[in-house]
Amino acid sequence: MYLYNLTLQQATGIVCAINGSFSGGKSQEIVVARGKVLDLLRPDDNGKIQTILSVEVFGAIRSLAHFRLTGAHKDYIVVGSDSGRIVILDYNKEKNVFDKIHQETFGKSGCRRIVPGQYLGIDPKGRAVMVGACEKQKLVYVLNRDTSARLTISSPLEAHKSHTIVYSIVGVDCGFDNPVFAAIELDYSEADQDSTGQAASEAQKHLTFYELDLGLNHVSRKWSEQVDNGANMLVTVPGGGDGPSGVLVCAENFVIYKNQGHPDVRAVIPRRADLPAERGVLIVSAAMHKQKSMFFFLLQTEYGDVFKVTLDHDNDRVSELKIKYFDTIPVSSSLCVLKLGFLFAASEFGNHGLYQFQAIGDDPDVESSSATLMETEEGFQPVFFQPRGLKNLVRIDQVESLMPIMDMKVSNLFEEETPQIFSLCGRGPRSSLRILRPGLAISEMAVSQLPGVPSAVWTVKKNVNDEFDAYIVVSFTNATLVLSIGETVEEVSDSGFLDTTPSLDVSLIGDDSLMQVHPTGIRHIREDGRINEWRTPGKRTIVKVGSNRLQVVVALSGGELIYFEVDMTGQLMEVEKHEMSGDVACLDIAPVPEGRQRSRFLAVGSYDNTIRILSLDPDDCMQILSLQSLSSPPDSLLFLEVQASIGGEDGADHPASLFLNTGLQSGVLFRIVVDMVTGQLSDARSRFLGLRAPKLFSVAVRGRRAMLCLSSRPWLGYIHQGHFLLTPLSYETLEYAASFSSDQCAEGVVAVAGDALRVFTIERLGETFNEMTIPLRYTPRKFVLQPKRKLLVIIESDQGSFAAEEREASRKECFEAAGMGENGKKEMENGGDDEDKDDPLSDEQYGYPKAESDKWVSCIRVLDPRTTETTCLLELQDNEAAFSICTVNFHDKEYGTLLAVGTAKGLQFWPKRSFSAAYIHIYRFMKDGRSLELLHKTQVDGVPLALSQFQGRLLAGIGPVLRLYDLGKRRLLRKCENKLFPNTINSIHTYRDRIYVGDVQESFHYCKYRRDENQLYIFADDSVPRWLTASYHIDFDTMAGGDKFGNIYFVRLPQDVSDEIEEDPTGGKIKWEQGKLNGAPNKVEEIVQFHVGDVVTCLQKASLIPGGQESLIYGTVMGSLGALLAFSSRDDVDFFNHLEMHMRQEHPPLCGRDHMAYRSAYFPVKDVVDGDLCEQFPTLPMDLQRKIADELDRTPGEILKKLEEIRNKIV
Amino acid sequence: MSVYGGDSWGREANYRKRRVDDLLVDQIHKNSSSTNNNNNTNGSSSSSSSYKKLPNGKYAYWRYHPHNPVVDTPLMLSIHMKGSRHCAAESRLKEKELYRQAQLNKRIALSGNTASADTTDVPRQQYGLTSKPLTQRTMKAVSEALRTNSAQQFAIPRIDTVKDIGNPVMKGSSSIYDNAIGQVVADKRLPQQQLDYKERKEKELKFTAAGWKRDGFGGWYKDESVEFDSDEEDPNVSLA
Repeated sequence: MYLYNLTLQQATGIVCAINGSFSGGKSQEIVVARGKVLDLLRPDDNGKIQTILSVEVFGAIRSLAHFRLTGAHKDYIVVGSDSGRIVILDYNKEKNVFDKIHQETFGKSGCRRIVPGQYLGIDPKGRAVMVGACEKQKLVYVLNRDTSARLTISSPLEAHKSHTIVYSIVGVDCGFDNPVFAAIELDYSEADQDSTGQAASEAQKHLTFYELDLGLNHVSRKWSEQVDNGANMLVTVPGGGDGPSGVLVCAENFVIYKNQGHPDVRAVIPRRADLPAERGVLIVSAAMHKQKSMFFFLLQTEYGDVFKVTLDHDNDRVSELKIKYFDTIPVSSSLCVLKLGFLFAASEFGNHGLYQFQAIGDDPDVESSSATLMETEEGFQPVFFQPRGLKNLVRIDQVESLMPIMDMKVSNLFEEETPQIFSLCGRGPRSSLRILRPGLAISEMAVSQLPGVPSAVWTVKKNVNDEFDAYIVVSFTNATLVLSIGETVEEVSDSGFLDTTPSLDVSLIGDDSLMQVHPTGIRHIREDGRINEWRTPGKRTIVKVGSNRLQVVVALSGGELIYFEVDMTGQLMEVEKHEMSGDVACLDIAPVPEGRQRSRFLAVGSYDNTIRILSLDPDDCMQILSLQSLSSPPDSLLFLEVQASIGGEDGADHPASLFLNTGLQSGVLFRIVVDMVTGQLSDARSRFLGLRAPKLFSVAVRGRRAMLCLSSRPWLGYIHQGHFLLTPLSYETLEYAASFSSDQCAEGVVAVAGDALRVFTIERLGETFNEMTIPLRYTPRKFVLQPKRKLLVIIESDQGSFAAEEREASRKECFEAAGMGENGKKEMENGGDDEDKDDPLSDEQYGYPKAESDKWVSCIRVLDPRTTETTCLLELQDNEAAFSICTVNFHDKEYGTLLAVGTAKGLQFWPKRSFSAAYIHIYRFMKDGRSLELLHKTQVDGVPLALSQFQGRLLAGIGPVLRLYDLGKRRLLRKCENKLFPNTINSIHTYRDRIYVGDVQESFHYCKYRRDENQLYIFADDSVPRWLTASYHIDFDTMAGGDKFGNIYFVRLPQDVSDEIEEDPTGGKIKWEQGKLNGAPNKVEEIVQFHVGDVVTCLQKASLIPGGQESLIYGTVMGSLGALLAFSSRDDVDFFNHLEMHMRQEHPPLCGRDHMAYRSAYFPVKDVVDGDLCEQFPTLPMDLQRKIADELDRTPGEILKKLEEIRNKIV
Repeated sequence: MSVYGGDSWGREANYRKRRVDDLLVDQIHKNSSSTNNNNNTNGSSSSSSSYKKLPNGKYAYWRYHPHNPVVDTPLMLSIHMKGSRHCAAESRLKEKELYRQAQLNKRIALSGNTASADTTDVPRQQYGLTSKPLTQRTMKAVSEALRTNSAQQFAIPRIDTVKDIGNPVMKGSSSIYDNAIGQVVADKRLPQQQLDYKERKEKELKFTAAGWKRDGFGGWYKDESVEFDSDEEDPNVSLA
């Protein structure tokens, strides 16, 4: 089996983010690391975050930092990754790529504890960078400029200290003195030696300053002082004239200002009033904003509250440290304050937010200060506050994030053309069920009913130079309706269009005149209102029209073509006639090329299954240049010109080309390249779009021409980052469409469907899926689908939180205390998009109030995804939490399908995993599955992490025991068990009489149940200790799994062993055979191995296109979706293997990690071709593309076609 | 009552052994007589076994073996019957019988051909095919038998059918019909038995899967490590 790996949706979570001016000048950008992807984001003029560039680096990005050389106008990016190298990147605005400026190797690859890269500290003046590991190693590189102002980097200077754990590293701003770096360190050498544990309990964290002596080129420990043991983060304080220098040490409950030779200035972090006393407050992210006259810090706590920290200072003496409550936003992994007045918060879980500053917190609010710090016998006096609605910030945009995907299933519950992906995402109050559909999201601007059923729609401008369209013209079977576009859209009669006849085409002709083509003639409306009519000869009617701005061709019934041109005076003149052999099915004229007077090509489709390219040049007018035969009659034609590009914002390096697109009656879209000189046709590609013949329209997308194809569903063909993408739109079937541009909507589409006129815009280009979000109450754990009833049953559970009723009660109390009164809103879910308007304290925004850590809340929810309505919600009582779920049909029992839920009560993970009780609940479906009723619950002696139906009974993995249960009257009856599993069972799959058990640390075990002996036997297991996170049953002998180190693998039982097991009539063999070292007698073989680089949490085999081949879809913790497709031919395997090999050689990954080594990070990659690397082929420079293509004996076009083909097989 | 021993065990086992002996002799008797019956198609020799019980309680062979061996116990008798020498003798005898039967059938067929030339056979002869009355009749009988059986989905005991087909040949067409009726009854009984057996087997499996175990007496007892419902079916009752 050979597989092709393709990421369908890039990771959406963010590990770390930095902001700066990476393209130079005044612009402000954000660079985010999404695990293995580096993205450049920029808020546009409307305050929407746009992804400018996205690069997969094939390595784990651990940290990011930016620096600017003195006097420069541009920031560089430093990436700390797992590659054993330090990489300095520069964003190239012209080509829209990251250029690697420096790549310095310092050690081995990987993310081990002494491998540097985890922490990056930058000298604020951009003179040096410190790269630190979690332990021991710290290296300093000196950054400088050479004579031609290029960035240089020195060899590393060591600042190692063994037996030291590092918590944070920053550069200290000390102006142009020697660069200094600060680190929070913990020396554990004594604790290691002392077996009594006394030294360990007395271990103390230190703040250490390292000085880089630029003269001596040497790093020395300059100063070290004790800090609180709760210290976790450092923030640089401006210095060198701008401020007092030094650092802010963020510790549990405190922020402390520290500097060498300066007394500590300490202030408590205000606490939420409802926070339990045992919980501390930690700062998780920080941002510093510096203006000419002032600076302040924004610090966010682990509960989401943002505080503004200011320092009162006199030169370098700090007199007071003030911490003032600012606002509350969801907990973020990074905060970026942009100079444009935006705050970008990269959320830890759930959607990322872009906020605009309304104020900078100058109004009075709860404030703690170092001056008022009170020390009592019990410690420092805390300061309390109550979170409130946003006051200083306002959210203007959010970026969707699926992180983390907890579970995912693919099913066609909505009975659409393609299946939907149901995924459980997020955590705690930000958790949600997201329904993903392949296709682009659209946003509907307007829908209006028309007096009849329209057949076509056009939009026209009055003048070429107009920005917006002037009229919408709608044609009915016997009339034409003209609507003018202004403040409102209304019907007009003074436009000059003939309204008593249907129209065939309406367009702008010449510079400023309009043309209406109707069956009996052409009406030419001049700018001054004069009207010229051209009538068809005899009784013949016009059947088809093709036009561009300067040329018109009409086809009369019988097959005669008449060609008109706009002359110098703006008149429409007949130029040429041509008789075709039969009726014309469709025709189109290529757009007029830049700087030319006419287009050379006319395409004519005939009912004899051919398309002809005719010349429109005066020399050889109406000569047939080329001919292409088709599989079925053409229905629609469209020329699409792709302009030449040398990279830039949204494209890769490619020459100009002209594509002829044909919609065939069989529902196939046929794309073919037209040679721009000779008109020869080549390189045909076809794709089935739907059951109706696609109608093709040209629309504008991001200022470029794109193609809208209307088949049984609409599709958009456009170019995105060098790829031509043909993606379905998530919208209903449309009849006819035209591009639309007005004041309110710059790039829209107007379309007719049924008797309605619809205006919509297409959003989030480049994404494969669009999503629908349904909020959930707690962290979703697992779910089951009920395909017949079209319902989902979800289990949710959270630790350290309050149940909904308790929360509601305490909230009421809080409102009363605040004198706000109940807002009348009794919404216990975290709300949707608009919650922060209605609800002053939405949980999505503020998080749930925190309870003791051993308190669990959990619920079981039955959800109807079509109405997004929860039909039943059972809250588990008494500290019980649900961990596993399955539906089960017990044999010959009366209830039909039942629901089994495995729960644990009072589960604790620290200091040791313990629980007070564990149960399996059995529920009955009531009211046609929309409601649940508890039948009984059975206490078990371990946490049931896996449940499955098996031969009319329930199989449960209870700790290390696999048990078979039957349904009893009052409880489940234990019928059979096997205790030979090594650790904890976390997945069970069954097929016929085989049971595939996944162990949390030891991969898969294949089992068999023998009825005649009532015994469960393990007959095969894996030889590799995999820490299983996801599993899926592929076939009788094969299982697919994902482990917690980010690998996907397939294991298969060898055929002979499988046969032996199946042909063992007595069962003696399986019973008595024993493996070595307590293992099973047989071992499975690993047939596929691939390092995804992200923890795979769910796997499912599904086909995302109708009638397509199935692929294995996986979802990851970082919120990405990918697919593994099995190659169907040996040729493809060879081709992609070679392409991958060349790509590895010619295009090494950006952050210095070797691609092969990355994909083989834990186990050598086996039989998987990395499509993500292959898909970077179009981003290579043209000569490199040609070189690789030559090596493969193909043209670059063919390679692109191959890539497109295989992508189309998946989605 | 212990499964593994105790006072009652040995004696009961002795009784059981004796009873088994008796049954075994019975069984051997039946088997040999039935084979004999089938082989002696002309019915000249009536039911008689291949061995004789001597007055001293021993058994002596008289039919297959030229030297008439004498054995002491039914067990030895049964062992002997499985032995190679006995088998060889038996097969020799069978061979002889079969040969005789084949010769007989051939002659009967030849005589039948001249006697009854069916109208249906005429076209065949025109095409130069020799008529095959024997095969025809056999086919007819089989199809008849199959038709009557088709209502029952269960496997027809083929050996029996084939055996029975051999018989009626000499008795004439009317006897075929009679025989078919008799066969229907027999066939109905047979699948029913099989069905019962299957059902019983399935039930037993269900009980084992539910956690019941069998003791040495064929009784059922509950596995200690398995849980049962209060009203769970007791195989000792339902399978008795």
